[in-house]
Amino acid sequence: MNNLKDKIDALLMKVSKPTRYTGGELNSSIKNPEEVKVRFAFAFPDVYEVGMSHLGLRILYHLLNKREDVYCERVFAPWLDMEKLMRENDIPLFSLETKTPLDKFDFIGFTLQYELSYTNVINMLNLAGIPILSRDRKGLPFVIAGGPCAYNPAPLSDVIDFFVMGEGEEVINEIIDAYIDWKKRGGEREEFLQIVSQIKGVYVPKYYIEVYNQDGTIKEIRTIKKGVPEKVKKRIVKDFENVYHPEEQIVPFMDIVHDRIMLEIFRGCTRGCRFCQAGMIYRPVREKSKEKILDLADKLIKSTGYEEISLTSLSTCDYSQIEDLVKKLIEKYKDKGVGVSIPSTRVDAVSINLLKEIQKVRKTGLTLAPEAGTQRLRDVINKGITEEDILEATKEAFSAGWTNVKLYFMIGLPTEMMEDVEGIVDLAYKIVDNYKEVKGNVKNLKVTISTSTFVPKPFTPFQWTAQDSIKDIMEKQDLLKKKLKSKVLKYNWHNPYMSFLEAVISRGDRKVGKAIIKAWEKGCKFDGWEEYFNYDKWEKAFKEAGVNPHFYANRERSLEEVFPWDVIDVGVDKRYLIREYKKSQEGRITPDCRLYCTGCGVKDFDEGVVCFEAPQK
Amino acid sequence: MKRLRNKYIKDERVKFISHLDLLRVFQRALRRADIKVAFSQGFNPHPKISFGPALIVGATTEGDYMDIDLEEDISPEEFRKKMNKVLPPGIEIVESYEVELNDALSTKIKGAEYILQVNVKKSIKYIQNKIEEFMRKDIIEIEKESKSGRKMVNIRPCVLELKVIEEAEDYLKFYIKLKLGEGAPNPLHLLKALNDYLGNLFDIDSYKLHRKNMILE
Repeated sequence: MNNLKDKIDALLMKVSKPTRYTGGELNSSIKNPEEVKVRFAFAFPDVYEVGMSHLGLRILYHLLNKREDVYCERVFAPWLDMEKLMRENDIPLFSLETKTPLDKFDFIGFTLQYELSYTNVINMLNLAGIPILSRDRKGLPFVIAGGPCAYNPAPLSDVIDFFVMGEGEEVINEIIDAYIDWKKRGGEREEFLQIVSQIKGVYVPKYYIEVYNQDGTIKEIRTIKKGVPEKVKKRIVKDFENVYHPEEQIVPFMDIVHDRIMLEIFRGCTRGCRFCQAGMIYRPVREKSKEKILDLADKLIKSTGYEEISLTSLSTCDYSQIEDLVKKLIEKYKDKGVGVSIPSTRVDAVSINLLKEIQKVRKTGLTLAPEAGTQRLRDVINKGITEEDILEATKEAFSAGWTNVKLYFMIGLPTEMMEDVEGIVDLAYKIVDNYKEVKGNVKNLKVTISTSTFVPKPFTPFQWTAQDSIKDIMEKQDLLKKKLKSKVLKYNWHNPYMSFLEAVISRGDRKVGKAIIKAWEKGCKFDGWEEYFNYDKWEKAFKEAGVNPHFYANRERSLEEVFPWDVIDVGVDKRYLIREYKKSQEGRITPDCRLYCTGCGVKDFDEGVVCFEAPQK
Repeated sequence: MKRLRNKYIKDERVKFISHLDLLRVFQRALRRADIKVAFSQGFNPHPKISFGPALIVGATTEGDYMDIDLEEDISPEEFRKKMNKVLPPGIEIVESYEVELNDALSTKIKGAEYILQVNVKKSIKYIQNKIEEFMRKDIIEIEKESKSGRKMVNIRPCVLELKVIEEAEDYLKFYIKLKLGEGAPNPLHLLKALNDYLGNLFDIDSYKLHRKNMILE
């Protein structure tokens, strides 16, 4: 083992950013692997600085390591320079903490945060010398996966031994306990899969098959093992106030993407934006009390020494006591030089006031997400803001001294027409005029407009819609490139081929999974990194696998169609999604569910599920 | 306000963290230890911490220095203890003492002692003699890149001492003493020059470098 450590050290002299691979950070867990019953490798299929910015990893890492009988270590996708050296020198993929090869673990747990990381999952297994197909694995370890993309488990069904649906902190201990029990009895590999298939929230893909219609759509998803659930229900944390939240956090040596304390103040979102998968799958909305948050903040600042604390959630300004919370945190820690940040800003005056408060410690940018350029289209996607809101908020911000504004939009939204795209341009220029009105000129002003391309996602009201063709997207981008030319405007756009691939995989079935493996065989990895994304290879992979990608990305589905993810129950009722889909076509909005319950079904999902309920007026 | 000069260790476990990373490590450790550090004035205030010459990424040290200006009155000994309690494994302050506020670390550091181990491709006879020959030269030139392009620089005046302290079949271990300061070479520059002189006998990419000490005026 030490031998491997020395070999790794020698390679690290030659790679960029060697601390991606060293471990040893403050608050990382040091245990003797000989003294535990279960060794768990938490695997993030991207580089260290991306993976370490992920809150879920931090929660599960510390949660598992609280147990004396478990040692959870971390592993990330090595960057290309390191991978090359590892392959040349026969060094298997290893854990950061003890430099143990991955095949020595009991579990390798991948978190699936974005579809374009799937080839990295396969590549990491291969780099660890573990067969990439579940059926070829004998003995240990078990390769498991969770995270938002796991809700459509079909594309990685041949690769992953079993998926965990829902909130990991709710179920992971049950899996570990079952494992310890099984291992003690010396059971067969197959037997453990049967045991976990009975744990609520676990989906074992080999016990299910997709049966297809002539036209290639799914006829049914059939269980082929007695006693496994017809539908796998996701797990939900019911007592969010007291659920485990780490009081310490690893402090990386290198600069990572989100290099700050992450404190989760609530989970779920009440907004109901129809394009947003997170807003649907993380329901119900559950808040932590202000007291709890202040207490956790204090412990985290003491244990990390971080200079910034981020209050994370899907829509932080919606926290019911946000103003008071931010004020208290600023007051308490400003002398220590600790700033507060909120990851997303609502488009209203309250939010601007919050930002002013935050500015007292650290300068912060202003980022707003109108998402669409016209009111009609904002109503279609249920983004409940008006142009007035946006103009008022930016005016307020300019008066308060901001000179940089970032605006996020999506293009290719359902029903979008060229005039909606023009609406983005109009809005941008109105904001420029706004600045002129406040300041008298446009000196120092910078407005950055970024468009991402809409990707229809499972479990959203838009799961039935077609994605715009690449050609249409390019036309829209060209229009924006042409019209957003000005000294004070900057336009950023996404590679449309990447968005197309994301759409294919996100609503893909098991056949798409075969194409992913083919793409990896052709050398695809780090597909989420534009400089390594190679669509030509993907095109060939689809061809060889006999998969027409447009069937998945650009086809409108009928309401009756059976989806690959219909085998999973995320708590939001399909009838609600259909209702929202129909309302979107009529351009009708649905209010925030803090006002009244909009009947998504999650409240009746399971015993003890409580959703945010607005006080009766 | 007072200025504390600190000598610290950075061992094998943290040898890959960069100079900039190390600055952050100390800043965050100060906050964990709840020690009030002095901040610079200006638009973007930053804590007043200054380091000696940067160490190469991948090298260890047991004799680097760093000055920290503090707002609070804390004894050097207490400061050292408090900091060591919260520093990550592998980094440790071994000595702290107060210096005058106008005493700048950068003007005090004159030289450094290193232990450098390098793998050899084949064993070399009479290595000690050859090193002595090498050191008798008046000019040892290396190629350095600068803004105006590549140029040859004579590093001989900066090399105070170079000797072999351990000979093994597959490696050599050197003791090196260098002058430090603007434009001064690092031990790897010297190693490269020596390798050229000896006819490419070293596996120049597989070395271990340790800074034994810094020489303060």
